Amino acid sequence: VTSAGPGDAPLTFEEALRRLDEVVARLEGGEVGLEEAVALFEQGQRYLATCRERLAAAQRRIEELTAEGLPAAPGEPSEGEPEPPF
Amino acid sequence: VKVVAGRRVFSVEEVSARLASMFEGLRSFWVEAEVEDLRPSRSQVRFTLRGGHAIDASMNGVVYERLPHKPADGALVQAYGRMEFWRPRGQVSMRVERLELVGEGLLRAQVDELRARLAAEGLLEPGRKRRPPLLPRRVGLVTSADGAARQDVLTNVWARMPEADVVVVDVPVQGDDAPRLIARALRHLDAVPEVDAIVVARGGGSLEDLMAFNSEPVCRAVAGLATPVVSAVGHERDVTLCDLVADVRVSTPTAAAAAVVPSREALETHLADAGQALGRGLLRARAGAQEALRGRAAGLARALRGRGELARDRAERLAPRLAPALRRAGAAAAARADRAEAMLGLLSPQRTVARGYAIVRDAQGGRVIAGAAGVAAGDELSIELRDGRVSARATGRSPS
Repeated sequence: VTSAGPGDAPLTFEEALRRLDEVVARLEGGEVGLEEAVALFEQGQRYLATCRERLAAAQRRIEELTAEGLPAAPGEPSEGEPEPPF
Repeated sequence: VKVVAGRRVFSVEEVSARLASMFEGLRSFWVEAEVEDLRPSRSQVRFTLRGGHAIDASMNGVVYERLPHKPADGALVQAYGRMEFWRPRGQVSMRVERLELVGEGLLRAQVDELRARLAAEGLLEPGRKRRPPLLPRRVGLVTSADGAARQDVLTNVWARMPEADVVVVDVPVQGDDAPRLIARALRHLDAVPEVDAIVVARGGGSLEDLMAFNSEPVCRAVAGLATPVVSAVGHERDVTLCDLVADVRVSTPTAAAAAVVPSREALETHLADAGQALGRGLLRARAGAQEALRGRAAGLARALRGRGELARDRAERLAPRLAPALRRAGAAAAARADRAEAMLGLLSPQRTVARGYAIVRDAQGGRVIAGAAGVAAGDELSIELRDGRVSARATGRSPS
């Protein structure tokens, strides 16, 4: 059984979704005692909340840059001297 | 030379010597032609240089073996050498010292050569490919400022995930500066901590147009990134080395979007389904536990009743207390179940009720009634519908 207490590192959306799906599969598989079912339900709720938070945090944005405006990496040929093309 | 009956008659050797001396003054030159009828051998490689006409040519086998790019039949080449006359057969041919591919053939040879080197380093191994994360915090996009690919990818990304956060770096996608600047853009995006997936996009074009994406700087940059890269370069038939080194290769902007962002709608549906499945699973476990509890209480009472008068007497005194005692034993679990059940209100009922389902509760405690077994004729019920509650009384029940 996967678990994530409040002290654990924050999960990525993908990890939370994967664990949520695991919990759902266990619960749906039947053969789960009441105590375990309650624990799984509560875990599932936490993963669900994490997924929803991550989704809600997404915001449409666009940042536009041009490569010429970026600093050259160390070792990159300088602007003046054309690199052999290929 | 001999004179016979007033005629000057030359020997063949004299003729070929004369011709050979005429060729000795010729200089070396470059000629552009297609290579045909290549006959390699260890000492001499013979071939035909064809334009509108044809010239026989030969090259030293060792020199030929050392050529960086050997021509295939039909390849366009520039050859450097001089014309020679071969006396024994009176043949004129070009003695080639340098042979270079030009045009598309050269580009293909360069691509093949780089591909072989990248493959030898293991950079094309399928095992290196990484899957971009399901929900990247930000998406990087490297593309031309004025190409259609730029808008096509953005449109498709936002169609799937309206809240996608994109960092676009405009680059020249062809020309001498393209490889260096594309590599720079890739490395920049790789260093932005929240960029979890990078798309490189360019529309279709000729092999020459796409050469920046067959260049070593771009391939090395892609191979060296920590962030998964989706290569959306050219059409289906134009496979570039960038495509081969990248983690994912796609040939349409729609596929590029699908490779880097999830469908928001599909995710919402999945989460809603998961939430409902959690609730269902909990209710099923709870019903199972209650069933087991009931069965055990009845069994115990039966067992005690079977043990003679004294036992029956005890059983009759105990029976009324037995069930509550067993229930108390399960009370802690039941309380947790009830608490969790109350949490169900947080996740699915509104959605479910809005679709035309109803929630039935007992009129006193507001406890959700999941099965017919929990209802007796005459019980007061409260039914929750989309727009309000209805009070009702059960008039009977039948198992499904």
